[in-house]
Amino acid sequence: MQAIPLTLATSGMTLARDILREDGIILCGKGTVLSVALIERLKRLGVQTITVEGHPIAEEGEKTLEGELADLEERFRPRTGDPLLMRVKEIIKDLIVTSWQ
Amino acid sequence: MAIEWDEEKIAGFREKLRQAKALPTLPGIVSKLTQMVEDPSVSADRIGRVIAKDQILAAKLLKLVNSAFYGFPGRISTVSSAVILLGFNVVRSLVLSASIFEAMEKTVVGLWEHSLGCAAIANVIARRLSINDPEEISTAALLHDIGKVVIRENLAEEAAVLDEAILGENISLYEAEQRILKINHTQVGQRLCRHWNLPDRLAEPIAYHHEPKKSANHYVSTAIVHVADVLVRARGFGFGGDKWVPALDHNAWAALTLREEDLPGLIAEAEEVLVELRGFSFEIQTLGEKCPPAIES
Repeated sequence: MQAIPLTLATSGMTLARDILREDGIILCGKGTVLSVALIERLKRLGVQTITVEGHPIAEEGEKTLEGELADLEERFRPRTGDPLLMRVKEIIKDLIVTSWQ
Repeated sequence: MAIEWDEEKIAGFREKLRQAKALPTLPGIVSKLTQMVEDPSVSADRIGRVIAKDQILAAKLLKLVNSAFYGFPGRISTVSSAVILLGFNVVRSLVLSASIFEAMEKTVVGLWEHSLGCAAIANVIARRLSINDPEEISTAALLHDIGKVVIRENLAEEAAVLDEAILGENISLYEAEQRILKINHTQVGQRLCRHWNLPDRLAEPIAYHHEPKKSANHYVSTAIVHVADVLVRARGFGFGGDKWVPALDHNAWAALTLREEDLPGLIAEAEEVLVELRGFSFEIQTLGEKCPPAIES
């Protein structure tokens, strides 16, 4: 899933999280498929950020999956002798791969 | 290219630090709130009204309170209910964080995001351990790298020298600070805490997040901030000054009574809040621009 500004939302995207109003009331439930009309309504309600399924928006300067995994290896390079941190790396690696599927 | 720096200027910075001249003053509103707490007749409502006078600050405070890392079930819509729900100490430290980070979030967005992420993960860990006042640990985590801000503000050119040393010699920012400045951001943070009379509960995690064993009175909070710092950098969320994951203190990890089997769940839970924070960081950065000017009453 990916958190994106509402301005970048397009119809056909699926909400990965509920959209809540300031007081906690659900405006729009998880799993809803966005339409042009719905996006307009959310804009009028002052919603700024939404979380959608998958990874539809390539953010500025954002890496490819391969780039993200290479960065991950580099971050852990000084820690290869720590088995617990190597386990952390494997878990994060799975998480990154899943988020790109 | 050999890296050069101005020894004299750096020594001057250390001297200024000793005399507390290089340290930013505590925002006026925080001093005022500190005075108010000593008066038992002051109500949460009055404290709320003082904070609410600064609308941008109040808006940022409410954003912080309602953000992913404090995780209250309902939404908190007024400052006075935040004071009642969170307690005065937490609100004071939140006001402190909101005002300090006002300057920071615009100039060093990467460090601001690193700090936010660390606060969020510290909160996840504190809740798992059912610790009282997880909000206060989040605040300590939010401020853990405040020494880096002070260094950047006082030694802008030298900060570029630090960056060069990190890349050229493959050393961490912490090591580069030790070598070039002969003082590191945790020591600067500690001086700032003393200068501001912050409680040990906040000061120890800030001072010892790289060496938790030195924390005498608040070891668990310090260990949480230490582990949260390692995990947020492991995820690559924000930018802490260099790209590497810091060494994990296994005693600190053991003190949190977490097992290796707990890692997948903990990291998945942290990921949930980090995803939410990506949007939050963007919102809070644009908040100041959209708020109407503060109204005097």
